[in-house]
Amino acid sequence: MIKLVTDSTCDIPADLIKKYGITIVPINVLFGNETYRDGIDINAEQFYKKLVESKVHPTTSAQSPGYFSELFTRLSKETDEILLVLFSSKISATFESAVQAKALVGDICKIELVDSLQTCGALGLPVLKAAEMIQSGAKLADVAAAVKDMCSRAHSYMVFDTLEYLRKGGRIGRAQALLGGLLKITPILTLREGIVTPVQRTRSRTQAIDALVNLVKGANKIEALMLQHATTPDELEILAKRVAEFYPREKTIFSTVNSVIGAHVGPHVLCVNFIEGK
Amino acid sequence: MKQSWDGKDLRDMFAAGSNWLEKSVAEVNAINVFPVPDGDTGTNMLLTLRSVIEEADRASDTTVGVMSKAMAHGALLGARGNSGVILSQIFRGMAKGFDGKAQFTGPDWAAALTQAAKTAREGLSNPVDGTILTVIKDAAGSGQQFADQHPDDLLAIINETVREARESVARTPTLLPVLMEAGVVDAGGQGLYILLDGALRYLKGELEDLQYRKPQMVSANITATRNVNVIAADEEEAYGYCTNFLLEGDNLDPEKIRRKLEDRGQSLVVAGDETAVRVHIHSYDPGSILAYATSLGTLHQIQIQNMDDQHVGFKEMQKQKAMPADIAVVAVAFGPGMIKLYESLGAIVVKGGQTMNPSVKEILAAVEAVEPNKVILLPNNKNIILTASQIKDLTKKSVEVIPTRTIPQGVTALMIFNYESTLEENIQAMSEAVKSVKTVEITTAARSTQIHGLKVQQGQAIGIIDDTELVAAGDDVQDVLMRSLDKGGISSVEMITIYYGADLQAETAEEVVNKLKEKYPGKQIELVSGGQPHYFYVVSLE
Repeated sequence: MIKLVTDSTCDIPADLIKKYGITIVPINVLFGNETYRDGIDINAEQFYKKLVESKVHPTTSAQSPGYFSELFTRLSKETDEILLVLFSSKISATFESAVQAKALVGDICKIELVDSLQTCGALGLPVLKAAEMIQSGAKLADVAAAVKDMCSRAHSYMVFDTLEYLRKGGRIGRAQALLGGLLKITPILTLREGIVTPVQRTRSRTQAIDALVNLVKGANKIEALMLQHATTPDELEILAKRVAEFYPREKTIFSTVNSVIGAHVGPHVLCVNFIEGK
Repeated sequence: MKQSWDGKDLRDMFAAGSNWLEKSVAEVNAINVFPVPDGDTGTNMLLTLRSVIEEADRASDTTVGVMSKAMAHGALLGARGNSGVILSQIFRGMAKGFDGKAQFTGPDWAAALTQAAKTAREGLSNPVDGTILTVIKDAAGSGQQFADQHPDDLLAIINETVREARESVARTPTLLPVLMEAGVVDAGGQGLYILLDGALRYLKGELEDLQYRKPQMVSANITATRNVNVIAADEEEAYGYCTNFLLEGDNLDPEKIRRKLEDRGQSLVVAGDETAVRVHIHSYDPGSILAYATSLGTLHQIQIQNMDDQHVGFKEMQKQKAMPADIAVVAVAFGPGMIKLYESLGAIVVKGGQTMNPSVKEILAAVEAVEPNKVILLPNNKNIILTASQIKDLTKKSVEVIPTRTIPQGVTALMIFNYESTLEENIQAMSEAVKSVKTVEITTAARSTQIHGLKVQQGQAIGIIDDTELVAAGDDVQDVLMRSLDKGGISSVEMITIYYGADLQAETAEEVVNKLKEKYPGKQIELVSGGQPHYFYVVSLE
């Protein structure tokens, strides 16, 4: 069977990862010289606690080619087909590492690499769909094509309290246009072509939640939905109740934004992710 | 950890730095707006560095003195473009600093950078701050200070210069207005930082990072208030020809050549010695420059590029990283703070307001000047709504007016603007948002009158809600403000934004904010210096 691999920024809940046997590549989070593998050495709860308490601001670092070549070698003993779907190559060198590693290991097995140009649920939801396809016996080429297509229709909209983390981390992208304003704003950003891109400005959390709800409401047809928070479960619940008016709650996936993205967005992130219908 | 390094180390660290820079050439090119937005800074620096490393490989021995001289020579031979020639001056200065030395220590490094900063400045007839010159100067200065305290820690000293280079790059927009306007940091400074950062990483042994990661671009905490296309549209004059060559001869005098060429063009850089001089100049008449140079010696590596062609390529490059907006918002505003506010929110501002309504022609000119073909107009005053609504029939662009009557209405509308939505969706959302804001304005009564039983004396402060309803009058401005806010329903709103006018001190306005915070804890209250004339306060209640 095809072995499905993604990275720890996909935010797929643990039970689903287990159910589908998805392999997760941990991305590193660093507080000064302490390195943590996201999801292994540190979970989201511990991370956000540390984020608020720590004097040094965390940075993130991509997984190395060495890691991937070991992973490929190990997986090639269990399978002869690997599908690897990773978060946007425009915000991390992880995908690049995987490409290098694929060249390093040669043809030990068939390896298909997909640059999702997404992260969080916009990566996780297509990966889950791929996992379902694999379970029902789909071919590697078909699954890879379907994942690419779904990633191109996936959206991840995030509410930010501050853009300072993004700027310091060098990942401000097109949201540079929102910096330096005179009024306090609560912006909503997304990834477009894999690059951080502003969608809308709001003036408060209330307005921001309204905006997120409207973004879901305005979608063509929703094929899958994930709602996320970091440290604000009450707000997540408000968001969930309102979104449930037009998308069934029992089909909605809930999760916490991972440490890696968390390091760039801060502890008050709220995020809606969905795959939009054709 | 070793405490001194030789020429081989110097060569290898700069070779690593060059490879590091190579990964970000496109990004560095894309922020190149000064002196000419032609988008080639990164490329020019890299090509210059390649020549540096080539010559370093040919150096006759591995002492740092000989090696740095070879590198400087390589820079001179290979210098390309404005930034390349300045970079060659940096290497030249560094070689002066390392002259006669077999190895270099931390303090030697700091001293060489200081010499490099000085030499780079001397090569220019008109040095400008907020550029690579400032970055090398700051880095050297900070390294020098650090070296005085920790002379034995070579790596820490280099680390300090790189750290300061990064900070300095982030500060460039505050020193050079054209960078601030374009919302970028200086490209040459950025390139230099990446070069030094790569060199440092090599010394630290971060080889895997160098191979697989990418340099981080420095970004500053500033907005791109106008995009580069708009800036270019302002300056319709042609850029001329970027002229670049190497002059070889005997007894050449770089200083004399510089003086001779000073009046013949822009961005002049002359670098070199008695036998070889590198010249870079932007000129409308490259022929006369070459004619002069051939009278002194032989010319090599002659490159003449039409910068207008380069600029077209640069604009293409900008589109890729620009905001995906195909709709522009043009707003009418008055007062320096108000104008800045609108610009920081991405609008193009036409100056005007209550006492000086802009003409149809002025608004039309702004609409025509923006790149997008869809334009939303925010008149922000009832007397300007009619003027704005005439624009539609005068242009081929599709123009929609949101009839905002006050500055806060315009701000609220602009805030809600969605970069991904269509014109229709935006118009609908923005018009809807305007309804959710209440405006309270405090101004002076132009004449004595009586409205709805409210007696007003000429010269008294008056409070007006949504530009229509007179709700309070009196001699005390603050008192009128407080009463008007009450009438405006301040107790039931979530957000209060106060724009204070040109006639008020910041302290006076802060006093008001403190009172309101006390009276209404839990509300989000913001104070902005609007700098508007005639209106003491303009307040938005949302």
